[in-house]
Amino acid sequence: MVEPIINLICLPLLAVACLFIVGGAVGLLRLPDFYTRLHATSVTDTGGAIFVSIALFMQAVFVYGDVMITIKVVLILFFTLFTAPTASHALAKTALLSGHVPLGADGKPLLATRGEAARLARSRPVSDDDPQLGVDGAMQDSDGGEQR
Amino acid sequence: MMFAAVLVALLVTMLLTLVRALLGPTLFDRLLAINSIGTKTVLLISVHGFYTGRPEFLDIALAYALINFIGTIAVLKLFEVDDLGSGSYQEDDY
Amino acid sequence: MDHFIIICLLSFLVAIAIGIVVLRDLLAGVLLSGLYSFVAAAAFVVMDAVDVAFTEAAVGAGISTILFLGALTFTRHDQKRRGHDSLPALVFVVVTGGLLIYGTLDMPYYGSATSPAQTHPELAVRFIEQSAGEVGPPNIVTSVLASYRGYDTLGEVVVVFAAGIAVLSLLGLRRRTPVAEAPDDAPGDVPGDANGNANGDSPERPTDNGSGTRT
Repeated sequence: MVEPIINLICLPLLAVACLFIVGGAVGLLRLPDFYTRLHATSVTDTGGAIFVSIALFMQAVFVYGDVMITIKVVLILFFTLFTAPTASHALAKTALLSGHVPLGADGKPLLATRGEAARLARSRPVSDDDPQLGVDGAMQDSDGGEQR
Repeated sequence: MMFAAVLVALLVTMLLTLVRALLGPTLFDRLLAINSIGTKTVLLISVHGFYTGRPEFLDIALAYALINFIGTIAVLKLFEVDDLGSGSYQEDDY
Repeated sequence: MDHFIIICLLSFLVAIAIGIVVLRDLLAGVLLSGLYSFVAAAAFVVMDAVDVAFTEAAVGAGISTILFLGALTFTRHDQKRRGHDSLPALVFVVVTGGLLIYGTLDMPYYGSATSPAQTHPELAVRFIEQSAGEVGPPNIVTSVLASYRGYDTLGEVVVVFAAGIAVLSLLGLRRRTPVAEAPDDAPGDVPGDANGNANGDSPERPTDNGSGTRT
């Protein structure tokens, strides 16, 4: 008797999750640049996983009534919530550090050189006599006079 | 019935993401697509367990989520430092 | 529905395999082979073979990918362009594959209840009926792997152990330079000229060959 009600509640949750997931995949194919694709994938992956996990959680609690399964569903949700945004941040930071330059809205690169992208990615402030830096001695956007 | 629809949607998503993994001009695109397929596999196994009425296999989905994450981070570390842990990496770069 | 899912996942495997063969960048090939193991493990779960799926994910998507990446740090990232393709080799491979496929036409259908593995009194029937008494664990697959087919498992363990020793001895021989002498062109560093402007290209990793777009 409980089952049709829970199925009715899970139906819109799963429908929203399907929308997220398929929309993310379409975005992964159609968007022009790596960083835009990263945005599409990471947001929709996590969102879809959240909705699916909530629906499965309700199924586990009310239809199956099993404690272990509920705990496992909650654990999967937690791990996805922690690891998916971390992985996408790591991807973006490593891409920037390797010099992958993002494209602007008109298809032209936003930064002038790959080195500028690499310097943007370093979050540690660098002192003037650091051997890893160029001669100008400052951190990001020291070449502010450059044309874009 | 609704689980079957979710399974079909997940398979379609995996197909589209696979196209990006095979096409993607840079290696980062490929790595992104592979990470995404890994997450979809976790969801596929979980939903399939509930669809067949035997959700005892959720442990595997949990293990896959971890393996997927660790694999992605390891490959990213290789991209950045060209080294998988022999100690010559300056940790205070972040 | 299960059959549909298995057919879809197996066709993904075919697409990934074709991608591994066609792409010339070795790093992309390693990533795709990790993905191959992942999708194969998902197919195993849908086929109800959970132990095999665990092993496939841990070994294929986890360890094997990491070891390949470790090996790739020693060498270049793109494949040498082959001179010419060999036609007799192709013919031989196609004929052998065709003969193998012809040989499998005689096998019983997938999951058939009248196959010899299910009906022979010494195989599945004995495993199901007497495994709990003879061997002990409630999982019959475990008792088959560990006791009824113990020699197979012993051989597998020996092979994996030998492979592990070989890989460790190969990867452990070459040491990188310590921190004080970090090489000048570590990826992510920016070579600069005297004006403080960065030169146009940082070290190129990672890029692909095989497409005209700028990375």
